[in-house]
Amino acid sequence: MSDPAAILSGGKGRKPPSPRESMSRRNVIVKKTIGYVVLVLMLLVIIAPFYWMVVTSFKGNLEISNIPPTLFPHHPILTQYEQAFGVYGFGVYFRNSIIVSVSATIVVILFASLASYAIARLPIRGKAPLMVGLLAISTFPQVAVISPLFILLERLGWLNSYQALIIPYVAFNLPFAIWVMRTYFVGIPKELDEAARVDGANLFTTIFRVILPLATPGLFTGGVFTFVACWTEFFFALTFNNDTAFRTIPVGIALFSGQFTIPYGTIFAGSTVAVAPIVILVLIFQKWVVAGLTAGAVKG
Amino acid sequence: MAASTDCLIKGMEGETCMRVSKLDRQYAMAGYIMMAPALLVIALVTIFPIGYSIWMSLNTIQSTFTGFSFTFSGLTNYAIVFANQQFWQALEFTVFYAIVTVAVELVLGLLVALALNQPIRGRGVAVAVMLIPWTLITVISAQMWAYIYNGIYGVLNYLLMQLHIIGAPVLWLGTAGLATFAMMVADIWKTTPFVTMILLAGLQLIPEDLYEAAKIDGASVWKRFWHVTFPLLRPSLGLATLFRILQAFGLFDLPFVLTGGGPGTSTTSIAMLAYRAIFNDGDYGPGTAVAVTTVGIVIILALASLKALRTQVGEVES
Repeated sequence: MSDPAAILSGGKGRKPPSPRESMSRRNVIVKKTIGYVVLVLMLLVIIAPFYWMVVTSFKGNLEISNIPPTLFPHHPILTQYEQAFGVYGFGVYFRNSIIVSVSATIVVILFASLASYAIARLPIRGKAPLMVGLLAISTFPQVAVISPLFILLERLGWLNSYQALIIPYVAFNLPFAIWVMRTYFVGIPKELDEAARVDGANLFTTIFRVILPLATPGLFTGGVFTFVACWTEFFFALTFNNDTAFRTIPVGIALFSGQFTIPYGTIFAGSTVAVAPIVILVLIFQKWVVAGLTAGAVKG
Repeated sequence: MAASTDCLIKGMEGETCMRVSKLDRQYAMAGYIMMAPALLVIALVTIFPIGYSIWMSLNTIQSTFTGFSFTFSGLTNYAIVFANQQFWQALEFTVFYAIVTVAVELVLGLLVALALNQPIRGRGVAVAVMLIPWTLITVISAQMWAYIYNGIYGVLNYLLMQLHIIGAPVLWLGTAGLATFAMMVADIWKTTPFVTMILLAGLQLIPEDLYEAAKIDGASVWKRFWHVTFPLLRPSLGLATLFRILQAFGLFDLPFVLTGGGPGTSTTSIAMLAYRAIFNDGDYGPGTAVAVTTVGIVIILALASLKALRTQVGEVES
């Protein structure tokens, strides 16, 4: 049987392709063309609004509300950025988002690695119901807990504080992080644990010196997902940290308001600064993100 | 590490067996301690508050200078909520919105994933770009689209008029049905790439030989999809659908910034309704009742879907 691929690559081709082989070759070309068209279209559709936002952030206010809209700013300016960080205090929102997201991520990684090691390795009871329970909790809509949490935080005097967001963020991101890390831990051969123990290591040394370094992918995946979730969270941030001193970026963006019109230029300047680092971060760590999703797909 | 029952299975004798189970118990204890921080935080923020929410929904709550005053009132709040026209409108809107957006995302995502499921150059770049909308803060996306949809100077109207698709500027966000549609487009734009990625990952797991075998048997493209691809993709499809629908009940960020729930209340989601009731109107009791109702619906849906999923997975495995 001749190989269509060889024919395609212009091989020695000693005999003309049979009808079936021609059709197969045509099919491949059609498939590839469709693939490329879809690829390019998809990239354009995804990037277009981003381009529009970034380009607008370099325009002056008059040009922004002008008809016809301009594909590229007539005179690119940085005024909007100055406004965002100078007048509207966007730098504060940025700082708050970083503090909250980084703290929550660190705590999640710590708590989740301990918990998932225990679930993956140690003879505790009720593992299956626990994992299912965690999955169930992660599906709860935030609105279910917003009023009690608000009242509790109010009583503690913790409204408009960092812990008001960090604690709930940790709680809501732990289930997924535990799931992901457990998958990684389970994948590490038990012999390593036992070898370490034979060498005289206690539980903690085993975990931190032997197992954890091998489970780093799981840590990264859990960390990236948690960070993105915290960075983009809006509902709790809006409700608990409304004061401008403690607002995070999403709340800052949502509540930007001008005197007469919505200051899109300034909003987009702040947005571009908010979007750029996390895009870069995720592109760097994309391997872990895709791995985290595939782990879920494999589990089914 | 042998579990205590292994003891009996392996036929270990008395003292060895006791030593092993004692070690087991020590390890188990260590395990519980290690799990404690995580479980504590989770319980503190999700389980107890949900219980407290249910309690709150059964009380008439007044906000006073010294705090809150609770007066037990049974199902009064629920009576108020279920008699409220806005509640049903918000619920209807949320369900409709969830079904349509999830359906479109899945179909679109599947089509794109199928098209990309071949060795073409640039797919790595595509995957990277597909991650970007996922990282985007939803309210930023909302502002982006608000600017695009703007009735006066939005670029969408401009383009559509240039292409002679419309004759005059359309008030996308100011017209009842259109606002819903506009919001759905923004949502689908943001979420489909992520769905595509999940499905693409699932497709990549399907072994080539299955397709080869089907081709040799003379199966057409459609038959190959229906009998090879779809059954093996069903679990991931099912899971993705489940999570997306549950997520859709929390719809808040997009309507809050894009439409403000309007025009009127035509794009007010159930979560927005609860938020407004609690924090704008101070109706803690009824607002929390709305929230608890939402959770109830989510739980029922989740259980039903899990059952359906399990039977499907069972079918595939057999």
